Amino acid sequence: MDTKQILINAMKSGEIEKSIELITKVLGEGVSATEIVNSLTRAIREVGDAFEKFDIFLPQMMMASEAMIEIMKVLEPKIKEESSNSEKRSTKIVMATVKGDIHEIGKDIVILLLRANRFDVLDMGGDADSLEIVKTAEREKANLIGLSALMTTTMLGQKEVIEILKKKGLRDKFKVIIGGAPTSQNWADNIGADGWAGDASNAVRAVENLIKIDKGV
Amino acid sequence: MGTPPYRIWEIVSRSDIGEFMEEKEFIKKKLIPGVQSAVKKYEIKYDSTFPVNVDDSIADAVWNAAVEAFLSIGVYNKSTHRVIEFTKEELNEAFLSLTGQYIFGAGKDARPFIARKIEDKTPPFMIYSPDITYDENDHFKACVAYLKEPLLDGICAPILENFFGSKISSHSPTELGGSLMHAMNLREAARLVGKPGIHLVAVGTAEADSSQIHVSNPEYGIRPTDSRLVASIAELETNNEMMNKALHYHQYGCYSGNLAGAIYGGYAGGAEGTAVLQTAYHLMGNLLYSCHYEQNFPFHLKYNSNTGREMLWIVSVYSQAIARNTKMPQTSNGFANAGPGTKMLYYETAAHSIASTVSGANLWEIAPAKNKYHNRATPLECRLAAEIGYGTAMSGMTRKEANRIVNVLLEKYEEDIPEAPIGKTFQEMYDVEKAVPQKEALDQYKEVVSELKNMGVPFPY
Repeated sequence: MDTKQILINAMKSGEIEKSIELITKVLGEGVSATEIVNSLTRAIREVGDAFEKFDIFLPQMMMASEAMIEIMKVLEPKIKEESSNSEKRSTKIVMATVKGDIHEIGKDIVILLLRANRFDVLDMGGDADSLEIVKTAEREKANLIGLSALMTTTMLGQKEVIEILKKKGLRDKFKVIIGGAPTSQNWADNIGADGWAGDASNAVRAVENLIKIDKGV
Repeated sequence: MGTPPYRIWEIVSRSDIGEFMEEKEFIKKKLIPGVQSAVKKYEIKYDSTFPVNVDDSIADAVWNAAVEAFLSIGVYNKSTHRVIEFTKEELNEAFLSLTGQYIFGAGKDARPFIARKIEDKTPPFMIYSPDITYDENDHFKACVAYLKEPLLDGICAPILENFFGSKISSHSPTELGGSLMHAMNLREAARLVGKPGIHLVAVGTAEADSSQIHVSNPEYGIRPTDSRLVASIAELETNNEMMNKALHYHQYGCYSGNLAGAIYGGYAGGAEGTAVLQTAYHLMGNLLYSCHYEQNFPFHLKYNSNTGREMLWIVSVYSQAIARNTKMPQTSNGFANAGPGTKMLYYETAAHSIASTVSGANLWEIAPAKNKYHNRATPLECRLAAEIGYGTAMSGMTRKEANRIVNVLLEKYEEDIPEAPIGKTFQEMYDVEKAVPQKEALDQYKEVVSELKNMGVPFPY
């Protein structure tokens, strides 16, 4: 097994220290940082798929995602050195569980996978005030707002955020994606959200699709 | 007859003096390793050929693992960012002080609610619970339809989504109003069907502590002979709002249950960790909230249900762990994949009822269609759960026989779980005006009962 593959396996197992040590070794073997990142990105996608199929569970997915995040901290400066044109995720996402709702596990899983897939995510936590979500997205110059709700009585918070965006003339500045047990594509269409995701893996795909649309790809 | 609470003020104070910790740190450093190491130490293994556990040593290992995990993890208070911890001595004292039996309801409608044992011949206490929202205009009639059911011992009612035509918004005046409407509909419906004292678990429309407090009224709201729920936040977390509810219930003088659902595939990991965590919730319910009983609904992270093979193993094994090692009454809350009017829902209901009843649980049945679709629940699936619960207990069914039947039932539906049919609405299944099932729905019910009897599923008549 080559060293790069050992690094991929270490990341998938969530071995942070071993992964960091192996980066130097793989780079020393002449593999570019960009190539390592591309391989690791494919690998973390496989981890997400394995979690979707329940071949692994949340603790294993968390460990791999956290290892990926730590690895990226080491590799990102090297990627910049390698090429000024290298692909970098420029999307900033503000995520929150909406007002009145304290259920965060679904949102937290989505954030883990988004971060592991190199998105810049600001987590506003649970029970987040609708106006505060809009203000935070504006202040942070976010491109996308992700809203989670677990109850029928809190789904309205998703609608409220979109209404505030419209009232403040900001609707076109942000893509809005929603999710959570009682929500559906119908509900997303109903309230004018740009996307809906039924689970964490689909959330990553939905965000990527929205970015493509945004960039006119 | 003694009842909780157990040292409430001493325990409440720990929310302010416990170890400070960020939530993510609690999950990573205490929760996940605490559950994983207990599962490993007690060598707990899920066996898919036994959706109903038949091995006492596994049930005891799950109990011991739960005690060890709970004492090492504690409970995280999200409001104060502190970890509330407990000692083994407190655990022993709190569980010894439980009587294991209460009288739920009032007057002629009062009846005992007990901690059942494994393969107990005493029928389960039967709480009918659709766990889903109904149209405001049909809510009262839906309450009537459920309360008419002969085997019902208590009801956790249909939930309201609207109040005077406005969508109910969490923690708002519409929630206070809707919660009171919910309570009043239940009380009136109970009186009209001639069961004014029947035990109510209410009200599910009330998310906020203020809404729960708002409906506490012996005259027109929820009475001390009723019970109320206080939730655990997944996993092993609470907040001050939950603590407020728990305290209010005790000081108001009603019964309370800890509403807890460990998530399969979540922080607990697989079936083994989920069973340990669900067992640990009984410790949290007793020690933190001083609840009189535990209301269990472990569920699958992807499907929001608990009638799959691994979920039934979890249900059976934690129920047995509690029944063998404590006097804490427990209820088993079914969450099915398919919707009303489908044979799949009836098969799922039968499997959940048998696995729970034979393992020592009382029944709290059943939320259809992955608990996701408005109006999609009827009293008929609850009736089936109750009849089978009675049949299972009265026939003296063993766990071994239960396992055989549940395996047969699983073969009929487990492959369809990912794409389960959502079925029909209450309005399609019932004559709403009269609050009775339509002939077609009743004919299908009778056909399914006949089929289940041929498979060996026990019925009381």
